Parts: sequence; C-alpha cells; structure tokens
Amino acid sequence: MHPILSHLRRLFLFQCSLALVGGLLAWFLVEMHFASWAGALIFALPVLQLYGFMLTSAYYVCRSLPFSIRKAPKVLWVFGGATLFSSLVWLGFCLLWNSLITNVGFAWANVLLSNQVAIFLFCIGCVLYVMSLLAHDVLIAFENIRAAERQQAATQVLARDAELQLLRSQINPHFLFNSLNSISALTTFDADAARAMTIELGDFFRKTLAISERKTIRLAEELELCEHFLAIEKIRFGEKLIAQFEIEPATLGVQVPPMFLQPLIENAIKHGIYDLSQGGTIQLKSIMCDAHLHIAISNPIDQRSLIAAVNSTRGTGTGLKNIKARFENLYGGKASVSWQLSNIFFRVELSIPLVSARQTE
Amino acid sequence: MNQLSLLIVDDEALARRLSREYLKKYDDINIVGECDNGLDAVEAINTLNPDLILLDILMPKLTGLEVLALTGRTHGVIFTTAYDQYALKAFDLHAVDYLLKPFSQQRFDESIVRARRLLNKELSIKPHQEIPALLADTQLERIVVRDRGQVHMIPLAEIDYIEAQDDYICIHWQGKSILKTQSLSALEAQLDAQVFIRIHRSYIVRLSAVKSMERISKDAQLAVLFSGAKVPISRAGYERIKMFIL
Repeated sequence: MHPILSHLRRLFLFQCSLALVGGLLAWFLVEMHFASWAGALIFALPVLQLYGFMLTSAYYVCRSLPFSIRKAPKVLWVFGGATLFSSLVWLGFCLLWNSLITNVGFAWANVLLSNQVAIFLFCIGCVLYVMSLLAHDVLIAFENIRAAERQQAATQVLARDAELQLLRSQINPHFLFNSLNSISALTTFDADAARAMTIELGDFFRKTLAISERKTIRLAEELELCEHFLAIEKIRFGEKLIAQFEIEPATLGVQVPPMFLQPLIENAIKHGIYDLSQGGTIQLKSIMCDAHLHIAISNPIDQRSLIAAVNSTRGTGTGLKNIKARFENLYGGKASVSWQLSNIFFRVELSIPLVSARQTE
Repeated sequence: MNQLSLLIVDDEALARRLSREYLKKYDDINIVGECDNGLDAVEAINTLNPDLILLDILMPKLTGLEVLALTGRTHGVIFTTAYDQYALKAFDLHAVDYLLKPFSQQRFDESIVRARRLLNKELSIKPHQEIPALLADTQLERIVVRDRGQVHMIPLAEIDYIEAQDDYICIHWQGKSILKTQSLSALEAQLDAQVFIRIHRSYIVRLSAVKSMERISKDAQLAVLFSGAKVPISRAGYERIKMFIL
C-alpha cells in the first residue's frame, strides 16, 4: 500500500504542498522578469502536479532498499541515480510544456527559459526528489514500527493461548477418572470419605481453572492447589504416600507462574512413589536466597523402573521441559530448572527471580 | 453353573474393593487373589491360572499389556482402565471386554455375562487371536522378558541389537544378552522403524548404537557398534540403513 496515494488526507496535503511550491516557483519567475504572473502560474502549477506523480514513485525506490541491507555506496548509487533521472525527466517536461503553450498560441504566457533557469529548474527537481525520498523513508519506518507492534501483539495472544492450552492439558484424565472410580468405591462403605473426596476434587478443579487464567499467583496459592491434589492422591494411595512441606514463611507471598509445582508433585507420585511397594515421602522445600525463590522437590524412586521411566514416552521429559520453556518465556535467563537422578532419589530444583515476570503488554 | 476363579489386578486398593463389592452377588465366582502391581500379577497368573482376570492397564512395575505378553495369556481378560488409548482398541476385539472407570454394577454384570459366554465357547473352539493381535499392535516402550522366574525390563534405549535364533530372539544390551520366545518380525512390527533397523534377515540393530560400517567384501558389510560388537548387514539391509546414515 502506497503511504500517500492510498490515503485521501495525505494525498490532499501532498497536492497542497505541490501547489505551494508551484506558487513559489511562479513568484520567482515573475520576480526575475522571466514571465508574467498568469504565464508563470500556467507554467508552474501543471508541471509540479505532474512531477508529483514522479515524486510518489520514490516510495518504490525506498522499498527496493530495505533498511536492513542499506550500505552507503549502494544507497548513493540508487538514490542518486533515481534523483538525477527524475530531475532530467522533470526538466524535459518543463521545456516541453513551455514550448507547447507557446506553440498553441498562448505566446503571451511564454516563460523565458534561459540556460541558467534550466539549471535552476533541474536543481529544484533534485531537491524535491531527495525530500520525497526522505519523506517516504520516514513513512516506511513508521509503517514498519506499526506492523512490528501488531505482530508482537498477535504473538503474545498466541503465546497466551498456548499457555492456557498447556494448563488445560495438564488436567490429567487418568487422575480425574481414577478419582471418580475411587469415589464410586467409597460410596458403599465410607460415605463420609466419598463426600470429602468429591469436595476435594471440586476444589482442586475450581482452583486450577481460577489460577490458570492469571499470569502469576502467590506461592501460597500454588501450594494450596498441591495440598488439594495430595489430599485426593492420599485417599487413592493410602499410607503409601507421605508429603512433607518445609516452607519458609517469607516465600509464601512470592509471585510464581500458575501450576508450575503441581505437575512436579504429580510426576513425583507417578514416577516415584507409585512404583515403590512400601511407598515413600515427597519432600518439598522453599527458601529465599539472593533475591531468588529456591524450591526443591525430591522423591524416592524404584531403581528398576527408573531407567524405563526416563526413556519412555510417558517419562519425566515432557513435564520438566514444559516448565523450562515457560520459565524461559517468563523470566528470560533469570530462572532455572535443574534435576538430579541418583539410584534412590529424584530431585528437581527450581529458582525464580523475585522481580515480577517479564511484562506482557 | 460351574465355579469360576477370578483374579483382581489393580494398583488402587479402592478400585479392588469396588470390584469385590460388585462381585458379592456372584456365589459361583471365587476371588482367588488380588495384586497391586504387574510383577505380582505375572506370578499369580502363572501359579493360580484363574478363569477370569480383572486387569488394570496402567500399573506400577509392569503394565497390564506387558503382564499378558509375559504370561502368554490370551483369554478370560476383562480390562479395567481409567482412560487410555488401548481402551477403544480392546473394545473392537470382542474376545476381551473393557470397563472404563468409573463403571456401574450393571455394566460390570454385562461384562461378566459376556466373559462367561466366551469362556464356555472357548472349551470347544480354537483359542482367541484378539489379545495377541492387540499386543502386536502396541508400540513398545521397553521389552520385558521372563527368565527363570525373574522379570527383566530392558529399556529400548539400552539395546544394541537383536538376533534371531531359531524360534527365539536374543536381545543384546549393555554387554548382556537374553533369550525371548518371539519372532524377529513380530518384534520388528512393535518397534519404531526410525530407531530400530532390520539390517539382516536375522538382525535388528538400534540405529544410534551403530558406530560405523565396514565393508568386508564386494557385497558384504558389517555394522560396528559402540559396544564393539559386529553385526552383518545384508544387501537389502544396507539399502534400509543407508537412508538413515548417509
């Protein structure tokens, strides 16, 4: 889209300024006694209107040399060449128009075009063309900035959608259906427990939906979600599952991305406690250090299923990779996710900067 | 009606208790055992040989499908599962039934009726092909082998190569090897063709275990593995592995 020709308002302003330059040129010709007022205006206004079209073509010259590939010699060559060429055409046109007017019988309107005046007209052509090149460059830069802004906004919407999608997919169907089955079992012999579990499940999903719409939440809220999750899993796994939280009170208010801990607790159960016949303890610690929130989650593992879990498709890989990608997106290089695997335990360590997450406007 | 023996396999105590609850009204069904993991299930199936098994699919240690593969069990199985990709597949095969959790007493009863009908038929007709077909169709994550009462789980990523030996296959991994009753072609169908390449009528090799290829004569090549083992490559096998290496 041409920035001038496709905008009525800009086109009007452009035409006005051309008329103004035409008026100035006519005034000059009259002042120098090269023409009468009428003759000077008849000469100057049409040629400038016509040159106007050539001036707008500067847009395509600018476009042919995007800012990213501009180098001085090339710019000089292309812009200079275009300027000289247009000015020559403009001069030719001035001479042609002048003789045309004279020859069709308006001899009184003749403008005396001496060599000096011709050189002067040529210079005006050059100056106008260079100005046009600069003006178009400014307009293109302006357009680029706006396009970049639009694109950035679109990318952010996409990223947000992806994040929501991710959060939704984290609501594990296995967890939901197995929990419903447990409730179904409990109804016959422990109605109170069935009711308690229904309430926990409801709270868990409500909480999940509520926090997944926000960009960051307080660590306390994330821990509450984990508690609901663990309460349900404890009903399902009974004595096998023990969870120990050691939370430094100062860390409770830290802003964290929603649902970054719960999937890790789920992993610790699925890939750790689950395979141990005698069960085990999940430990979660949070401390504040060097303007970072540090969290460590560790769980015992069954050595035999360990290698299989790491290599298998339902292994630890995706969950941790997801969190890594989200941290990268939110904090750049300031947050970190690492994990260690030994023969008897698996440990994930996270650190999140205390400054607020990268602004998404 | 004759007595039926039944084994409950599920990792969750509550789920097992629910099955017991649903089975209460059947005087002729005898619950011979409960298992909370795949390994115990293999043992129980071998020693008790129950008529019917209520089998969960996703379980610790071994999955339900691996339990069937190891025991060679092809009949009298009712899958109970919360949600997974195998469920619908199992449904298409009518020799086995599936129960999606949570399920009702009514649905459970239908399943028992269906299982009974099939068990009675089985006494006279040929064994079912559906469970082997289901197993053959499942992409493996690891290979499980039972050897003298011990179950070995071999992660695919640790396998160097697999060799056909008469009716067996010999799996070589981390300097060890083990025999399994299976055909090389059946195993090949369960492996990712991008990762495991059939380089010879009798050999499948894991692509990333191959260090180099060595030409020993005009037509014969050898794959040299990082482990030091050398595996022959046939002409057809060379065509297949060429695409990935060159």
